[in-house]
Amino acid sequence: MKSDKKLSLWERYLTTEIGIEFKACLYFFAILFFYCMYRMICGVFNASILHMAEMIFTCYIIGYLQVYLFWNFDEAETLGVKEIAGMVICTFIYGLISRLCNWFDGKLTVTFILAAYILITYLCVFLIYKTKRSIGDKKLNEELRLFQAEHKKVKDSGK
Amino acid sequence: MKIDIKTIKEGEESITVRYFEPNPTVERIIGILQNEEYKVWGKTDGMTICIEPKDILYLESVDDKVFAYTKDAVARIEGSLYSFSSSVNDDSFFRCSKSMIINVGRVSSLKSLPSNRIDATLENGEHIIISRRYAAEFRRFLKGDR
Repeated sequence: MKSDKKLSLWERYLTTEIGIEFKACLYFFAILFFYCMYRMICGVFNASILHMAEMIFTCYIIGYLQVYLFWNFDEAETLGVKEIAGMVICTFIYGLISRLCNWFDGKLTVTFILAAYILITYLCVFLIYKTKRSIGDKKLNEELRLFQAEHKKVKDSGK
Repeated sequence: MKIDIKTIKEGEESITVRYFEPNPTVERIIGILQNEEYKVWGKTDGMTICIEPKDILYLESVDDKVFAYTKDAVARIEGSLYSFSSSVNDDSFFRCSKSMIINVGRVSSLKSLPSNRIDATLENGEHIIISRRYAAEFRRFLKGDR
């Protein structure tokens, strides 16, 4: 029988925090890419450090909202009404902050394109996590079969 | 418990075990006498039944009572999950939550869930969720890191 070596409260907290950090980095990179593309299309070949700082803070805050308030929708098992609602609300917050912080020179069309881009990013991340879990399942079941086969072998040899 | 030992010169050797209710000590003695592996005694529908650990799908503790679930019976067993885990000589039992022990040998499939949890489907189709707290240890357990 296995000894009880469960995760401590600190380890669980750390796992969640690392997850949020990862989300913040991922979405910051996606928004930064969009922002750089917009700047280049406008003929500007430098980026505002202030805008980037605002973006990373926004991504962190929305990362916390996603995990603690919106059912961690990008890592959800299925895409239901509440997950889609979470996606839409977070996209709306991104859009709102982009306008308040003037990331796209107050252009409403760009804000709408950003919203669509973020929604697509969310869907892609959801699919990536789903695929990752599906691959993980195969590996997990292989390990289960191996465990059961080995255990049976040990039992049979003990008889 | 009174122990009565007699030396005999002739006739068949025999051992009689007398008890009011089955308890872990008596069960262990019977197990040794029968030269068998550890067995679990449980009560179901007013009857006392003997269950082999390999037949147990999982054990659950509800209000300080421990129940053993097999494919076709649910029996209340004496003791705690801890006493079961320390008595059973079978490495396929894993503590998958505060109130549950699962027999990994009777799991038919596993599925990763969001938030690092694992859904274990047992041979009878029941689903047991291995919480995030125990999932990492379960993965190590499967890999033989015991």
